[in-house]
Amino acid sequence: MQAQDVAGRIPILAAHGIAKRYGSVTALEEVDFEVYEGEICALIGDNGAGKSTLVKILAGAVRPDSGSLRLRGKVVDFHSPRDARAAGIETVYQDLALAPDLDVASNLFLGREIKSPPPLGWFDFYNQRAMRDQAAIHLKNLKVNLRSIRQTVETLSGGQRQSVAVARAVFWSKDVVILDEPTAALGVAQSGMVLELMKRVRDKGSAVIFISHNMPHVFEVANRMIVLRRGRRVGTLYPENDGMDQAVSLMTGAVSATAGLTL
Amino acid sequence: MPFSRGRGWRVPVPAFASQGIRFVADSPISMVPASQPAPEVARGGREGISGWLAERIDLVLRLGLLGIILIAAAIFTLDTIPSKHLSDIGQSIFISQGNLQDLARQMAVVGVIALGETFVIITAGIDLSVGSLLGLCGVIAAEGFLNGWSTPVVIFTTLLFALAVGLVNGLLVDMAKIPPFIVTLGMLGILRGAAYLVTQGLNLALSPTGQPTPFTSWIENTNFAIPNIFIVLAVLGVASAIFLRFTRRGRYIYALGSNPESARRVGINVRATILTVYALSGLSAGVAGLLLTGRLGTANPNAGTSYELDAISAAVLGGASLFGARGTILGTFLGVVLVNMLANGIDIDPHAIDPHMQQVVEGALLIIIVWIDQWRKRRVVAG
Repeated sequence: MQAQDVAGRIPILAAHGIAKRYGSVTALEEVDFEVYEGEICALIGDNGAGKSTLVKILAGAVRPDSGSLRLRGKVVDFHSPRDARAAGIETVYQDLALAPDLDVASNLFLGREIKSPPPLGWFDFYNQRAMRDQAAIHLKNLKVNLRSIRQTVETLSGGQRQSVAVARAVFWSKDVVILDEPTAALGVAQSGMVLELMKRVRDKGSAVIFISHNMPHVFEVANRMIVLRRGRRVGTLYPENDGMDQAVSLMTGAVSATAGLTL
Repeated sequence: MPFSRGRGWRVPVPAFASQGIRFVADSPISMVPASQPAPEVARGGREGISGWLAERIDLVLRLGLLGIILIAAAIFTLDTIPSKHLSDIGQSIFISQGNLQDLARQMAVVGVIALGETFVIITAGIDLSVGSLLGLCGVIAAEGFLNGWSTPVVIFTTLLFALAVGLVNGLLVDMAKIPPFIVTLGMLGILRGAAYLVTQGLNLALSPTGQPTPFTSWIENTNFAIPNIFIVLAVLGVASAIFLRFTRRGRYIYALGSNPESARRVGINVRATILTVYALSGLSAGVAGLLLTGRLGTANPNAGTSYELDAISAAVLGGASLFGARGTILGTFLGVVLVNMLANGIDIDPHAIDPHMQQVVEGALLIIIVWIDQWRKRRVVAG
């Protein structure tokens, strides 16, 4: 099945004919995927549908058996998450990868600290002031409200932690941010905070890939939904046209509607 | 209902779906309660005096430790005035130059291994092998001197050995995934046994005649009334503090102790960080071994026994957490001062405190400080 090209745009990130097998288990089979700038593209499907395998392939953590990835139209081959990050694709997994005992600014720059200018920089000194200033500006732009940039992450609420992780991904990504179940562990108000942040990230022009089981959340923020079922892409839905019942039917295989595929 | 396994359901969507209710993003009536961006709710447990205290507990504990040190110092000072008249405070034995120099010398050996121990503890590890390594390094140094090696060669060889042992500890922790407690407990036995095997249980004097050697004289000497051995501790301490506080690799040590998986995810070289801390701990034991052997003029295979526990106590008294990510060189230094000052004060003033009380006080302080840290964690850490 062919990826739908909305208004003739070229996807920022596209996958074509992706297949991945683990032993005798087929995780993905001939899957196409595309995400455009300035959109939130939700990836939905039941457990075992292949969402996380696809996301890991996009993030460079898993290599596909066949198929190709294109970033801004150019073929790319990621051998490790490091490659994907260098290409501007940042992923926030459910464990967030934050260091709870370090402060917010330190976490934003963790592993990528700004070096001090020479001569101190020669001795591996980091520039605390520059990192705090940039972190404060960045979080303010994204309207992530914290008491202080110097708060340790362990003192933050779940939603704030998720927001810091998302903000970090946005800070370092060039084009694409992948969010794996960012609202799964959060309560109502906290989820709302993260969903609003996702919209702001989208409105700043990033492409956001949003994996979630939570249909209300998906329908609230997604511009487009790609439905996976048993390792295949079974449809593309638009929240303004399609309903949650349709999404659920596609995910469970009750209907094999929009794609016109016979299963 | 196969979806109910999903973790994300806040609303029983399959039920809605079966009723044909459609969720549309721009629907005037939102059925999605999660959509309202609620103002961030203040976290429970951070308000009031106890919340204020919990957030500043590090500072409060350090000041408390400093207070205990000052009070103990005052007691020892007043109690060791020979004439017992306050006006003769200048003659107090405790604050005499000779005693302060003694105190500084006593501090140096445990102080140096406490520095290395601090690095390891911040990664949520522990190094029990430093006391034994200290003893074996002293033996190696003595053997070197007795074989007529020059001082630089002896120092280099000893430190190289110490570094190698530290790296082996680090490799076993990182690659073999053996808990640090077990790796270094095993190493504690191996190294102590090796020290006895090499010396056959005998003391090794640095010079056959027992005369001072250039090495032992340098260790014994002072610069501006400060014992050289203490200057070594001070220099290494300042360097360690700068490394931990201001450099990226120092920061990674905290990140590793805070959450190893996160550290790996963000691209920190976890293996290099683990090897670094155990290597530094080994090196510090090597330095301490040289200092102790130089100070005593002999290498005793028994030297340094249980020093690892003193080093760990000092670090923990100074705020290092065995759960990782907390601890500073300054705090560890205060811990070293307290432990050694109590020992020294009780030594010269056995009437002020019963000597056996020292161990009781230290042990109780240790438990209280960790207790307070646990309380802080419960108060500060959001759910």
